[in-house]
Amino acid sequence: MSSGTASAAAAPLLETRNLGVRFGGLQALEGVDLAVQAGEIFGLLGPNGAGKTTLFNLISGVTPAGSGAVLWRGGAIHGLDPNRIARLGIARTFQNLRLFQSLSCRDNVLVGLHRQARLPWPDALLGTPRARRHHHHLQEQAQGLLELLEIGPLGDQPAAGLSYGDRRRLEIARALANAPQLLLLDEPAAGMNPTEKEELRHLIRRLRDRFDLTVLIIEHHVPLMLGLCDRLAVLNFGRRIALGTPDAVRNDPAVIEAYLGGQA
Amino acid sequence: MDALLIDASLLQQMLIGALLGISVYLPLRCGQLSLATPGFYAIGGTLAALLSTRVDALGGAEPVYPLSSVLLEMLLAAALAGGLAVGIGRVVLRLRGVYLAIATIALVEILRVTTLNQESLGGAVGIFGIPQPFLDPQGYALFTLIALALVCWLCDRLERQRLGRAMEAIRDDELAAACQGIDTDRTKLVAFVLSAVVAAITGVISAHFLNSWNARLGNFDASITTLAFVVFGGSRTWAGPVIGGLTLTALPELLRPIGDLRLIVFGLVILVGPLLLPQGLITPERLRLIRGLLHRGAKP
Repeated sequence: MSSGTASAAAAPLLETRNLGVRFGGLQALEGVDLAVQAGEIFGLLGPNGAGKTTLFNLISGVTPAGSGAVLWRGGAIHGLDPNRIARLGIARTFQNLRLFQSLSCRDNVLVGLHRQARLPWPDALLGTPRARRHHHHLQEQAQGLLELLEIGPLGDQPAAGLSYGDRRRLEIARALANAPQLLLLDEPAAGMNPTEKEELRHLIRRLRDRFDLTVLIIEHHVPLMLGLCDRLAVLNFGRRIALGTPDAVRNDPAVIEAYLGGQA
Repeated sequence: MDALLIDASLLQQMLIGALLGISVYLPLRCGQLSLATPGFYAIGGTLAALLSTRVDALGGAEPVYPLSSVLLEMLLAAALAGGLAVGIGRVVLRLRGVYLAIATIALVEILRVTTLNQESLGGAVGIFGIPQPFLDPQGYALFTLIALALVCWLCDRLERQRLGRAMEAIRDDELAAACQGIDTDRTKLVAFVLSAVVAAITGVISAHFLNSWNARLGNFDASITTLAFVVFGGSRTWAGPVIGGLTLTALPELLRPIGDLRLIVFGLVILVGPLLLPQGLITPERLRLIRGLLHRGAKP
């Protein structure tokens, strides 16, 4: 019954209320309110140290929230372990890449398929035909995801030997293997050249449509974000300073000041 | 090296070494440096010694101790050690790295000192006259070989499964593993319990083979020796600790002809091994390579 926009009628998939956290003397996040609707590509912009990755860490349970709440489909999830949150359908990638270095690319994705890889232990132990079928199915699923991210031929290679861009792709493939409803992408375009960035933009759209995803994305490359996101929030010094459509955010005086400085 | 130098008795000790190596390997597969193996080994050994010498119904008076009684002891030892590991693991697995190692050394010491001072557990003297299910070392070696083969087969299955992959993922990056929906605490606990069970059944076999049991068999030295099996052999696949346990148990005996020099050579092997092969002798990549060569060799 509030006077919000039309989309406020539907309950948000993910919501943060007055979310904050303090690391010693640093207030990394303070009073952040966000509401991400199902199916959206929602961008987080902000200068270095603005608290974007910290927000991801709070949502995914990696860092406990200091104050406020994180709601998933209306239910509080802050305080849950990362593995519980992952099993709810929230998958993430890491800004500084946290692949399983000693595992092959395919095994990295297979670990991502953990939740779907459950098999009754007698089958697993004895290698019954059912277990073999299950095994093949998982292998195919993993290969499918690798191909979707255009790293299909690299399946048997150890993750440690990949190029930077391929590592980013593998992180996305592993996150998709979690079969998430919400995908958190932390600087997926870092280290990519302009062509690759353009491809990534299309890829994220494709993934959203194909897997029915909601995407929350952090990225520094402003043109990419303006072209990709349905809505954007801008953080600075741990506070949300702007929120809205790309056009609205682009012309927001607070954003211009944060990026270009007060006297600009 | 002359193969004849390895008699059934040494082979038996080597197989025990391989089993203990696997026990250290299981937690290490998920990056947990646990040195508790000798503690659970001692639990298995003490339990077997007590049961077989004090419970007449098991058949200790018979000329040949029934194999079924040994299997029953193994079952009970596995249950006792496994149950204890669940309780202890919940607490100590909160620790990481060297702190977990220290806590598990403490566990081994607590068990050792308790046994030493508890007359009913054998005290300082130990327990003698443990009945023999086999009349010669060959029988023991065969029995232990079957047990080792079974444990290796289970490990091989495990490594190809969801649980085995989850363990590897935790070793590489625990946080990233948790973010894939893996219950990391539970996975580490399962590995710790499996490790305890393997060590305990090994203790049961050992107690009968050695004929006597005392507190000194599960001490800090054993922690380091069993760890060396895995460091030398490799901790990424079950074949590593097996090879490590077999060779490092045999080496001091095989080097006996060179007298006291053997201690220096043994020390050098343990020192140089990890320097030249940081991942250990056996890694999954090398195994694949060997398998590939064997296939190529078999075709023409």
